[in-house]
Amino acid sequence: MIEDSGFVEVRIGPPVDTFDGAKGEPNARRFEVFGYAFIARKP
Amino acid sequence: MSDTTSVDPVALREEVKKKYREVAIKPNGTYHFHTGRALAARLGYDSKVVGDMPDDAVESFAGVADPFSLRDLNVGDRVIDLGSGGGFDCFFAAGKVGSTGRVVGVDMTEEMLEKSRSTARAMGLSNVEFREGILEKLPVDDNWADVVISNGVINLCADKRQVFAEIRRVLKPGGYLQFADIANGKPVPPSAVANVDLWTA
Repeated sequence: MIEDSGFVEVRIGPPVDTFDGAKGEPNARRFEVFGYAFIARKP
Repeated sequence: MSDTTSVDPVALREEVKKKYREVAIKPNGTYHFHTGRALAARLGYDSKVVGDMPDDAVESFAGVADPFSLRDLNVGDRVIDLGSGGGFDCFFAAGKVGSTGRVVGVDMTEEMLEKSRSTARAMGLSNVEFREGILEKLPVDDNWADVVISNGVINLCADKRQVFAEIRRVLKPGGYLQFADIANGKPVPPSAVANVDLWTA
């Protein structure tokens, strides 16, 4: 979607276990939800 | 991150406001996500920079990763933070861009705007301002920003294509979008996607 929106050089960082130990952890585990850093450039 | 949803965008916006109003007023409450200094440490933010910030600047932080981890900001950069909340990432960015740079936080929740503006004044920051607005219609001129950041907010918008179109509009050519957000490895059932309550629970 980011590339489709006209950005280039899209990169994604490693997953972060954002919800570990939080109330939302069960849902996060169920759907394999992690936090990520993204970067892209407008040409 | 799905680009189109069957959720009611207005109802979703109101539910998000309600949730983050709580986070502004009761930062030490129990939420489905972590908040504050412990979260900043978990996500790998520079502990010295965070340690020097007052509690008001950090306690309502509810990000999901570090948007500065793949690329740092430069002195003099103009930065926009989408969904700036209590202002944590803006204050972090303000230190990096220095007095010749500028940071604009955009948020739609009145209580978060009051908190971030008050904290900026208390910190004596003259290179940060907070504007009321939504990500689908940013209150920023075309080609203004060197960098757009965001942390855990784009996933809460129903029309992500419009959000990315707005980001492209406000960025200068050659500018960077560097944001943090959640993504799921397993598909979420359509019935759950259409349920507004589950977006913020």
